[in-house]
Amino acid sequence: MNAKTITAPLTPPARSRLRLSLDRFGLPLVFILLCVVMAFSSEYFMTWRNWMDILRQTSINGILAVGMTYVILTKGIDLSVGSILAFAGLCSALVATQGYGLLAAVSAGMFAGAMLGVVNGFMVANLSIPPFVATLGMLSIARGMTFILNDGSPVTDLPDAYLALGIGKLGPIGVPIIIFAVVALIFWMVLRYTTYGRYVYAVGGNEKSARTSGIGVRKVTFSVYVVSGLLAGLAGVVLSARTTSALPQAGMSYELDAIAAVVIGGTSLSGGVGTIVGTLFGALLIGVINNGLNLLGVSSYYQQVAKGLIIVLAVLIDVWRKKKR
Amino acid sequence: MATPLLLQAEHVAKAYAGIPALRDGRLSLRAGSVHALCGGNGAGKSTFLSILMGITQRDAGSILLNGAPVHFHRPSEALAAGVAMITQELEPIPYMTVAENIWLGREPRRAGCIVDSKALNRRTRELLESLEFDVEATAPMHRLSVAQIQLVEIAKAFSHDCQVMIMDEPTSAIGEREAETLFKAIRRLTARGAGIVYVSHRLSELAQIADDYSIFRDGAFVESGRMADIDRAHLVRGIVGQELTRIDHKVGRESAAECCLDVQGLSRSGEFQDISLQLRQGEILGIYGLMGSGRSEFLNCIYGLTTPDAGSVTLQGKPMPIGLPKATIRAGMSLVTEDRKESGLVLSSSILSNIALSAYKQLSSWSLINARKENQLAEDMVKRLQIKTTSLDLPVASMSGGNQQKVVLAKCLSTQPVCLLCDEPTRGIDEGAKQEIYHLLDQFVRAGGAAIVVSSEAPELLHLSDRIAVFKGGRLVTISSDTALSQEALLSLAS
Amino acid sequence: MKVATSFAAVAALTLLASSITLAADGKTYKVGAAVYGLKGQFMQNWVRELKEHPAVKDGTVQLTVFDGNYDALTQNNQIENMVTQRYDAILFVPIDTKAGVGTVKQAMSNDVVVIASNTKVADASVPYVGNDDVEGGRLQAQAMVDKLQGKGNVVIIQGPIGQSAQIDREKGELEVLGKHPGIKIIEKKTANWDRAQALTLTEDWLNAHPKGINGVIAQNDDMALGAVQALKSHGLTSKDVPVTSIDGMPDAIQAAKKDEVTTFLQDAQAQSQGALDVALRQLAGKDYTPKSVIWERYAKDVTWGDGTAKNYILPWVPVTNANADALYQQVSGSK
Repeated sequence: MNAKTITAPLTPPARSRLRLSLDRFGLPLVFILLCVVMAFSSEYFMTWRNWMDILRQTSINGILAVGMTYVILTKGIDLSVGSILAFAGLCSALVATQGYGLLAAVSAGMFAGAMLGVVNGFMVANLSIPPFVATLGMLSIARGMTFILNDGSPVTDLPDAYLALGIGKLGPIGVPIIIFAVVALIFWMVLRYTTYGRYVYAVGGNEKSARTSGIGVRKVTFSVYVVSGLLAGLAGVVLSARTTSALPQAGMSYELDAIAAVVIGGTSLSGGVGTIVGTLFGALLIGVINNGLNLLGVSSYYQQVAKGLIIVLAVLIDVWRKKKR
Repeated sequence: MATPLLLQAEHVAKAYAGIPALRDGRLSLRAGSVHALCGGNGAGKSTFLSILMGITQRDAGSILLNGAPVHFHRPSEALAAGVAMITQELEPIPYMTVAENIWLGREPRRAGCIVDSKALNRRTRELLESLEFDVEATAPMHRLSVAQIQLVEIAKAFSHDCQVMIMDEPTSAIGEREAETLFKAIRRLTARGAGIVYVSHRLSELAQIADDYSIFRDGAFVESGRMADIDRAHLVRGIVGQELTRIDHKVGRESAAECCLDVQGLSRSGEFQDISLQLRQGEILGIYGLMGSGRSEFLNCIYGLTTPDAGSVTLQGKPMPIGLPKATIRAGMSLVTEDRKESGLVLSSSILSNIALSAYKQLSSWSLINARKENQLAEDMVKRLQIKTTSLDLPVASMSGGNQQKVVLAKCLSTQPVCLLCDEPTRGIDEGAKQEIYHLLDQFVRAGGAAIVVSSEAPELLHLSDRIAVFKGGRLVTISSDTALSQEALLSLAS
Repeated sequence: MKVATSFAAVAALTLLASSITLAADGKTYKVGAAVYGLKGQFMQNWVRELKEHPAVKDGTVQLTVFDGNYDALTQNNQIENMVTQRYDAILFVPIDTKAGVGTVKQAMSNDVVVIASNTKVADASVPYVGNDDVEGGRLQAQAMVDKLQGKGNVVIIQGPIGQSAQIDREKGELEVLGKHPGIKIIEKKTANWDRAQALTLTEDWLNAHPKGINGVIAQNDDMALGAVQALKSHGLTSKDVPVTSIDGMPDAIQAAKKDEVTTFLQDAQAQSQGALDVALRQLAGKDYTPKSVIWERYAKDVTWGDGTAKNYILPWVPVTNANADALYQQVSGSK
């Protein structure tokens, strides 16, 4: 018997191939469609400058969403990214204003973020606190610590080298966009080409099977929160550079946009399924909607309605897809 | 006909997106009888049953219930007409009582909204007594055994005045003794005039319980008749469509003298006590025991999923680390778990990454995966185990049970183990796939490996293993190398 | 329980009333400050300055600050608690002019002195010490009209829709802009007092109206600074597109010094210390003389009188090159 014959009539190959490709290209299709509609609605939509702005505006949420993808892939959630972002931004800005140089400042921000991620990871992986609860706690703790850190005041007068991270350009492209692109590329490769990436999928897809297969489930679970914290820290640095000061109240409810981007991008909240590319499109979709409705002068109220509808729709497609399977 | 027909289905057909899943489904169920519905995976049984229950809609054909044509659009309609189904996956509400589960949504009430718990419990007791089921009406569901839960489900179906009961693999999750309880219950039901459609891959129990049989193959009805008129070989022939050459796998197999796995005094409180046994190279050791005898727990502990309270495990002379599957895998052990969906596979992932899951250490350098090696491994495994698929990138969720089980085996073999632990390796898969897995295990030990196979099917163990260890109540009763042992003898040792 | 508490309260208040008539210098007062939220810099300044009031420093006033966490219900609960705990006076900075009226009246009927600061309570009997947001809106709009010489397209970045400050500021802005038909409002949207949101919004507007925007009116400083950032990233400066706002936060004062924004300071110190003086006047009687420096600072705009006026409206101070350093010193706390 040939090893590669068709199995059962219940899973016709042609249909599954079609479905696979729909899974893969459905979101980009929606995205392109939206762009076409926008291009016809506003002559300024398709300009270089506008696209640079969309990308720059997306970069913060995008960086957060990349980390969030890792967490959600393991069936977890990280509600604390907005607060971690503010905390890390403030830490990094404080170091920068003390005159320690750019590298030290950026590292301080990322380190601060990663450390809070370590606490999250410890709570979830070692103490078995449900991720929703653990990171909800951190959401509040990190925000409080941010206010304590500088007595509720923003950190201003940041050095120019630091501000370049938010405002500067490398050639024609803004630095935040480049940071975002590099982050997305690295974490896409890690997920796709390394054993660690496969373990993340396996732990989220079926924790018991992963354990039986000799994967350190606890380590993997722990690590995704560190990744998320680290990237939230980086996003905090970029945000304070972009707003020229580190504000303690920055990043409120950013976690929701990050989760939205991940979910729109096709990552399943029940774990094990999803890609960074999907998340990129999810984040861009949100960026384009916000930008488009601003260009068209549509009230922000409708903007919120539109975003909500798209999130629900994206999950509906996911549910529908699973049912069909 | 002497006895009236309860249910008659003729030429039932169903296609999904133009591809037929069922071409010609037929069934004639007599009142007061058990009707075995047989067929391999993909024979169309599941589709047929879900049409009977109104879960899916038929494209063609007719179904008569008590002589009147019926067409159910949803399960509740079927239930109302007296057709009920007990599935493999039972989903009771764990923290409610038996009575509350049975009457969920139909509780006797006072003043329109207050549940009358006295009446509720009285009715439940009456129902359970009339069926002679030994279950307490006020016991919470989560305290019951799987078999007892099944009894509750059956009682629930009868509280709806059910005439036709469909049982899909009811014994797949329970042991022999519980199965006896179930069979007694079935006989009591048929005595009351109900008809049972019974689906099981365990052919031996069909002979025990069924009166009639029907065989489906490739989506169509093949034949039917009285169970008493045929033998097991006839049934297998009908299901597989050809004469299955039952190779005696043990012929010429000789286990070496070297000890592969040595377990000394292994204990884990509440699970098993003081178990010592040796596994020789080139040998298959069967472990037989009832549910709760500690057989699965024993395997899990050797493998490192749990930590023992006392005792040691030595593999090829080296002491094994405790409680660390990662290390036992590296030392050369592999475990095929009892429930492939729950703890064997990552259903949402592709066939490729499932096969490679345990082997990434060998497939990567500096934790970067070598995609060529990964593909090569998966392709080799697909060829070696004859896994039927069109693409390695398909999710395993889309495969049949037998093929999924082979993927689990492939995953376990991919780390090149010397000792393979198998917990119910043929559970819920069809006869053809079973034979293939027997063959694989045989090949594995002939190539110098060693295997432990846990199974609750005595014939399987008698057929496959060189020696059989019998577990009872967490203790090792005996290890017998007498493979001419009878099924009855095994059962009496175990219970 | 409830009856018992009210009895206790009445008894305490009678005691209190008698003790006030006897008031000697050793008398101390329990004062609570219920502010809408401590996440923003302005309220932080407000509280910091309050703690610097001479009466707090010398121990005459025992001050407790309550963070309302931007929630009207939280604030109402806090006021009720203060009444139960027999506070002498409450300095109230409401999140909403109307949401607290009932609770405030209840407090006053229990003889607790309530003074609104920064934001009015929509009840004429509650004294108010603070700035007039409508006037602030007028000032910043007028500044924009002057910069554009009465002609051009402007955009307005709003605060959270429906908040009192947003409503009043916009009222003042529209009033002035309405008188100048040469000025057209081409976009208007909220950025919720948030710098990052205002940055994104302004960027998008600049793309939607390349070269079409002549001025940006932001209803607070943080949003103005976001707009400045957006202009920079589009290669524009405030010379091309002027930005006006109100509040006078430290960052904005710095920016004003560099001519990046035009802003008007509302003096947090004047609001909080002024309110405390007015409260103390009610507690201590007509012999009380205000102790804060602010009465001197704004002598030509606000008069103390006998301290029982219902409204003390503080002036908006234009931030200029000349006074920027001094104001910065004052606002950022003389550290």
